[in-house]
Amino acid sequence: MKTTKLTLLAGVVIAAAPALAADPTVLTLSQGVDASTLDPAQVSSRNESNMLDNLFGTLYKIGGDGQITPYFAKSYKVSDDGTKWVFTLNEGLKCQDGEALTAEDVAYSFNRAADPALKFTGNTPGFVYSSIQFKKATALSDLDVEIEIGRYNPIALGMISEVYVHCKDSYAKMSPNDAARKPVGSGPYKFVEWIKDDRITFEKNPDFKLAPAKFAKVIWRVIPEGSTRVAELLAGNVDIITNVSPDQKETVDRSDAAKVVPIAGTRRIYVGFNQKEKFRNTKGGQAIAKPEVRRALQYAVDVPTICATLLSFECERATSPVNPPNNNTALKPFPYDPKMAEKLLDEAGYLKDASGTRFELTLQSPNGRYFGDANVALAIGQYFSDIGVKTNVTPHEWAAVYVPLIRAHDAGPLFFLGTGGDTWNAAYDLADFSAPTAGTNYTEWNDPVFFGMWNELYATRDPAKQKEITDKMSARFAEQSPWLMLYFQPNFYGISKRTKWEPRRDERIDLADVSLN
Amino acid sequence: MWTFIARRLLQSLVVVFGVTLISFVALHMGGDPTYLYVSERASQEEIQETRAKLGFDKPLHIQYATYIERLAQGDFGTSLTYRTPAIDVVLERFPATIELTLFAMSIAIFAAIPIGVISALYRGTAIDGTAMTMAMIGQSLPSFWLGIMLILYVGLGLRWLPISGHSPLLDPLIRGEFATAFANFPSAVEHLILPGVTIAFFSLARNARLVRSSMLEVLNQDYVRTARAKGLSEYTVVVAHALRNAWLPVVTMFGLEFGFLLSGVVVVETIFAWPGVGRLVFNAINQRDIPLVQAAVVVFALLFVLLNLVTDILYAKLDPRIRLG
Repeated sequence: MKTTKLTLLAGVVIAAAPALAADPTVLTLSQGVDASTLDPAQVSSRNESNMLDNLFGTLYKIGGDGQITPYFAKSYKVSDDGTKWVFTLNEGLKCQDGEALTAEDVAYSFNRAADPALKFTGNTPGFVYSSIQFKKATALSDLDVEIEIGRYNPIALGMISEVYVHCKDSYAKMSPNDAARKPVGSGPYKFVEWIKDDRITFEKNPDFKLAPAKFAKVIWRVIPEGSTRVAELLAGNVDIITNVSPDQKETVDRSDAAKVVPIAGTRRIYVGFNQKEKFRNTKGGQAIAKPEVRRALQYAVDVPTICATLLSFECERATSPVNPPNNNTALKPFPYDPKMAEKLLDEAGYLKDASGTRFELTLQSPNGRYFGDANVALAIGQYFSDIGVKTNVTPHEWAAVYVPLIRAHDAGPLFFLGTGGDTWNAAYDLADFSAPTAGTNYTEWNDPVFFGMWNELYATRDPAKQKEITDKMSARFAEQSPWLMLYFQPNFYGISKRTKWEPRRDERIDLADVSLN
Repeated sequence: MWTFIARRLLQSLVVVFGVTLISFVALHMGGDPTYLYVSERASQEEIQETRAKLGFDKPLHIQYATYIERLAQGDFGTSLTYRTPAIDVVLERFPATIELTLFAMSIAIFAAIPIGVISALYRGTAIDGTAMTMAMIGQSLPSFWLGIMLILYVGLGLRWLPISGHSPLLDPLIRGEFATAFANFPSAVEHLILPGVTIAFFSLARNARLVRSSMLEVLNQDYVRTARAKGLSEYTVVVAHALRNAWLPVVTMFGLEFGFLLSGVVVVETIFAWPGVGRLVFNAINQRDIPLVQAAVVVFALLFVLLNLVTDILYAKLDPRIRLG
């Protein structure tokens, strides 16, 4: 089916009339999914935050290189105990409702997202605040705002940089419905209209002087079907599209209209070894509770070949949950060495029986949640079976079946998963294992050495020392191998020939980085 | 007649109640949707807190009773993803779906009738053979494939029509913005053609076959022979006498047709980025946005009941032997 579609598409692309001349002041992008809300306190997905990043400002800003730089705030100070962060705003900031943007607006923005009466469940209250144990925000003067958190946390600045600053005068009066649909921004672009499931339109905010907008108009089109997005790109009707199917890369690249740019994302794709007690009643479950067995299994899987053949993407195997550039570069990925895997399993006491089986395992995986997930899981199952670990792979529907299993730590004993990471701090990526009881420790791995290192990390403010500790944590993680390390999920972007833009690993689309030829 | 309508409307309440119960149970059989509304890193306490915020912490029968109580007062609940009244979200998308369905239905009906009639009149000839072969192909083509082919060849290759998107027509009309609707008309029709043809193709083929067989049956009746013997023109015989009676099974089919086309819009709306209710419901199911799915199901159920009622009334009008009551 794919091949047929590809051949037909190739024929049409060659026969297609030249791309339409596009307005150089208008940028059109297409993501597959519409926003469900434009309320800055409720957004929870990357496609929503990609839009809001350009509509609202933040105190600091996370760059594509993982650097966190001043944005609405020009500086900050942290109290001795690390719980009070005072940010000083730039002068002359203005809300899109015409009012001056002051520390009071910033404090309001932070406190509004935490207001239990408003029942927000978005990224800010649901993730940022729980990560830093947000207490409250207080305006100290027109330009100084204090953010109070539970205790010192090395990821606090990055987390605070995810909170959108909005304007008290407008939002205090808005109904929840209006707040979700008619945002009043504070950033380089102003909201114009939202035609549900069709498009969201922004226009340049002429009053925004910090980093003036480059385009008079920006249109975010919603085109759910991948082939249709590609057709619109080739027709010259959109400039940037997300989630291009890799089998269309060659065809798009051959056209005069656009190219496909692949990039390793920040989502860590792995197979977890679930060590929960309930899995210990089988030989396989008992086996994977031992680090030497988990390490042995690392050698059984040829990750670069999986990437090349199943994902159409050249990848290097991950060494730990930490994304580059914050990863421990001294660590080398486990090589594909099935003989070594067999030798280590023999040494661990798991010899092959007469049928060539050492032990049996079940590998559960989602089907369609991550790019190529079920196919990759099946390949891993085969690699394991090849060394005598008979593996039964069971793909599941994501929302109704797999998510509850994962969240209850009941997926397994092997489970395929991808969890979000980022580029700005190793501690952020390691926070899946913030405690043995953490909700995201789906493996229920409980290594006192690794978990003990968190206290060391919290005890220092020196970035070099922090890096040393996170490197040690990564090394310990690799040695203990609670995950079968795989790869960082690749993302494929389609970019029109007139567009100059380098995709970011963290999937953010900052319009300040985009220009048109 | 009015007694019949009143009785059917009362029956529709039972239907809608049944639909809400079945859909409520089916949606909750998928487990607790709370996990989809919390961060990956949420603690058990945060998950519990969110569950309470969303109202999923109560026993199922209490949740259903609350839902029905509110529904009786016209409150369809609040969408979990959009955080706005679920019925507003559904009704906002409804005009786009109705536009597309009506357009597709028009193609499916008005193209099927002449094809079916001509095929019947020229039974066994090359015209009949070609038309019925095309009809068979039309019924065999999956809509997702046809849609993609139309996009590639008509939209991208020939650049005759827009590849995807929507230009609103019905929505401005409903809101009384006639100037906008008038201005949008050419663009709206351009945007409607590819998705409309994609949806209509299957029905067009089926209807053409139905009209043909119905016409063949009627054309052999005595009254048609009598009409011809009276010296009436062939046009009058076919249109005034034969077609009117051949309509009956076709009208029954058309009543169901609207529902069939509505159910087919999910795939087509996705392929053509059409902002309709089919895509909305599909996404809502994936997101386990239960209030939103429920609101859409109730609206669809009401529409089906209404359409069946209209079909019955139309049937009685066309066939004087049928008496409603």
